[in-house]
Amino acid sequence: MEFLGEVLRDALSFLADAGPELRRVLGLTLAVSGTATIIGVVVGVPLGVALGWGRFRGRGPLLALVNTGMGMPPVLAGLFFLLLLWRDGPLGAWGVLFTPTAMILAQAALAIPIAAGITAGAVRGLSPDAVEQLRALGLDRWSEGRVLVREAWPGVLAAVAAAFGRVVAEVGAVLVVGGNIQGETRVLTTAIVQEARQARFGAAVALGFVLLIVALIVNGALTWLQLRTE
Amino acid sequence: MLLPAVRLDVGDLVLSVDEQPLHDGERIVLFGPNGAGKTSYVRAVAGVGPGADDPVAAAYLPQRPYAFRGSGAANLLMGLAPARHATAQALAAELGIADVLLRPARALSGGERHRLALARVLARPEPLVLLDEPLAPLDVRDRAAVARVIARAIGHRAAVIVSHDREEAAILGGTLAVMVDGSIRQRGPVTEVFALPDDDDIAAIVGVGNVLRGEVNRTRGALVELAVGDQTLWGMGDAASGPATALFGAEAVTVYAGSVTGGSARNVWSGRVMATRETGRLVELVVGVGAIEVVALITPGSRDALSLQVGAEVTVALKATAVRIVGT
Repeated sequence: MEFLGEVLRDALSFLADAGPELRRVLGLTLAVSGTATIIGVVVGVPLGVALGWGRFRGRGPLLALVNTGMGMPPVLAGLFFLLLLWRDGPLGAWGVLFTPTAMILAQAALAIPIAAGITAGAVRGLSPDAVEQLRALGLDRWSEGRVLVREAWPGVLAAVAAAFGRVVAEVGAVLVVGGNIQGETRVLTTAIVQEARQARFGAAVALGFVLLIVALIVNGALTWLQLRTE
Repeated sequence: MLLPAVRLDVGDLVLSVDEQPLHDGERIVLFGPNGAGKTSYVRAVAGVGPGADDPVAAAYLPQRPYAFRGSGAANLLMGLAPARHATAQALAAELGIADVLLRPARALSGGERHRLALARVLARPEPLVLLDEPLAPLDVRDRAAVARVIARAIGHRAAVIVSHDREEAAILGGTLAVMVDGSIRQRGPVTEVFALPDDDDIAAIVGVGNVLRGEVNRTRGALVELAVGDQTLWGMGDAASGPATALFGAEAVTVYAGSVTGGSARNVWSGRVMATRETGRLVELVVGVGAIEVVALITPGSRDALSLQVGAEVTVALKATAVRIVGT
């Protein structure tokens, strides 16, 4: 018990003394995961609506692919983008490896299937009466999509929350394509790994606490929006 | 206009309906028992469900209209071109829901939501209107008024209206198509199909009955006097003036051989037996009264006792309380 008490004291003093370094890590975490979530939602929600509503060839295989993507290990996404962005790789000319841009790309790849899969599920869960009435209205594709997103709104918000939760909490992808470079590509999760490996448990716990607070604030806001629509 | 042929096999039900010609302004009431395939048929015609190779563009009201998130007004105008918005709002006012349009559509009552969907579908511009049970969710006392709004809004367009209610069919339809087990078994003017069903199956479904169209002469309390052809007929109803339809069952008609006087029935006519037909255990008599025909249902025993053969002079009597008169 003495050990854990000591860790907790260290964590509190770490937070009390936290300087620009913690702010930078927190800021980068929010910027990278926030941008990746936005990309994931912008691409994934329309894709999910199309998969949940549309009747087109290749829908089944695409749905299976998205469902697989929802469970893809982050470190594999990291590895994929590492190879893609490597100096001699297909996109090596971009020169973005070990920068926040690479981290955003890898996390967006994780966010898209989550947003798409959950949105598709929400759209497919609409009542048969809603489906029938919507088909009877004969709207153009764009208006139809808008109505579907609005009808499935609580599900779409759940998709946003799940996408953000997945990317802000993952460590494998950002570690592989970002490199955990202090002051450049270090985010909360990679910082926790770093501190833990060096046995600075107080700092690790403090950073974990900050990560939980971030998740709590974002999910709290989304839950509030969700409840308000019901 | 030609409605597409519909072929569909969904296990319990095999739907097979040939192309149906419809002239402008013709309103077909698709009548039949539950499970006959009426809804599947109109869904196929509208292209919302499977079964038709070339569905037609139609204004289609599903059986259970759905209220989307958003205000009543937003729901009302969904899918309508801006040029049709005024029409939709006018229809909403006629249907008595103008003052609930600002409320969230999901907070509206079932009847209000139904009227909302009805106003929206009637405001659409398509030359064909398909309505699946448009009056069923409404209070009985509101049906005639809503039916008039529907008839006026359809105007000279062709329409198919699904119903399983005789009164509704009589108010809404010009043509009656009876659907049994996935196919249309008889199609003709409403009055004719009700009075002279092709066979016992259809008779059992439509119920042997009388549907007489006329003009309201006068009213006395709940009693309405209707001029039908060269006859007058007393019944009960809320029609105050203008065209109206009288409905009464063939079993409500009493037939006497020769003439009678002094009964309590308000409607007593002399006529002549035009046709007789066995329908299961009963006999259907068609009695010509001046220019109109009245269908009566009697037992074979009565027929034999009174020797009611074709050409026999008879008196038919009918209580006003057995006649329902609805405005059309």
